[in-house]
Amino acid sequence: MHNLLEFLQKYHHWFLFVVLEIVSLVLLFQYNSYQGSVWFSSANAAVGKINEGRAGMESYFSLTHVNEQLTMRNFYLERQVAQLRRLYGELTSDTSVLERQELQFLGQYHLVPAKVITNELDKAENLITINCGSADGVDVGMGVACGQGIVGVTYLVSDHYTVVIPVLNTSSRISCAIRGHGYFGVLRWDGKDAGVAYLEDIPRHARFKRGDWVETNGYSSIFPPGVLVGKIETVYNSVDGLSYRVKVRLSTDFGRLRDVVVINDKSIEERVRLLQSARDSLKLNVKE
Amino acid sequence: MPIDFLKRLGLFFVFVLAQTMVLGRIHLFGYATPLLYVYFVAMFNRNYPKWAVLLWSFAMGLTIDVFSNTPGVAAASLTLIGVIQPYFLEPFIPRDSVDDLRPSIRTIGMVKYVYYITVLVVLYCIVFFSLEAFNFFNWMDILKSVGGSAVITLLLILTFESVSSK
Repeated sequence: MHNLLEFLQKYHHWFLFVVLEIVSLVLLFQYNSYQGSVWFSSANAAVGKINEGRAGMESYFSLTHVNEQLTMRNFYLERQVAQLRRLYGELTSDTSVLERQELQFLGQYHLVPAKVITNELDKAENLITINCGSADGVDVGMGVACGQGIVGVTYLVSDHYTVVIPVLNTSSRISCAIRGHGYFGVLRWDGKDAGVAYLEDIPRHARFKRGDWVETNGYSSIFPPGVLVGKIETVYNSVDGLSYRVKVRLSTDFGRLRDVVVINDKSIEERVRLLQSARDSLKLNVKE
Repeated sequence: MPIDFLKRLGLFFVFVLAQTMVLGRIHLFGYATPLLYVYFVAMFNRNYPKWAVLLWSFAMGLTIDVFSNTPGVAAASLTLIGVIQPYFLEPFIPRDSVDDLRPSIRTIGMVKYVYYITVLVVLYCIVFFSLEAFNFFNWMDILKSVGGSAVITLLLILTFESVSSK
């Protein structure tokens, strides 16, 4: 007994070392599962406050550029709306219907504006922190977009801060389609260039060309259909040769991301429930 | 003792703020990020209680982790450096020196210090980036990150050292 105590006393720092390493490794592995702890991430209140202050300061330096971009985008969208309205009016000679439909469509989505307070591009598993949380109606698994296009999906939510998995994260999977053609696939990132992502599982019989736009298709119920993703740059064959792998030049510039919106789809709950019940009944059928 | 503790606590915050506000955002050529906080652990003087070195390094690693959303990565690697540091420092110290000698260029000499700090920093970078890249086996990228970050961290530390030793 005496010897044991002496042994413990002499080598106590080794035990401490082992304990601390175990704690670190538990954190390391636990966080990789989907529902990690909010406390050990930049979603916790103290870290969020500090980062928010810094981001607030930094955002002043890029205001000119942001303004410029917003004006451009606004102009483009306004022109598009005007053109579509004109076309629709020509076809049906009734413009009030379209306006009503538009309002209805937008009413379905509740948009929460937020500011990016931390952002990274250099890792394989990049994460973004934004300054709105469950107090603003944000929940896990909601879509995040900015004026230029898609950003990512919310991952960890605390009261006032949220960690987002952006497209630039090797574990990000977002369902997208090619505009005007409807072929859809999964958008993934390979961990290298922050300007490109890959749209995978596009069927071999799909016909599209370089320069076509890629947008969200609305199947995932995270994003409404039609949120811009990027432009097709090159088309490859997939590794197994069964589908196309499309290189997409992302329209969102993640390097200077400041203002984003979280898309809170009120119909999501209903859709998830329906999907769940469909899966359950499928399982039951298989068992029978 | 409390004075020493408070000084170290102040230093702790300086390193954390410097890392999270400025240094952690630098990605030279996309690979080289200065990881200056290793300096904090390398600075512990001789005969500093080993358990205290461990707790300090763990706390430092964890704080860095919380800021950069890499839970456990810096904590695990810095704790490893914290357990090695007291043993690794011993052979570099001249026999007839004071008990609480602080490793620096002035106290153990340029050549020895460069050797001491290089091994610690390189080891830290290797462990840190291997843990971070855990499920992403791209050896070239890991090697580039380790090399780039180690070089830039060493340059920073040696700059600070040579300035403070004058």
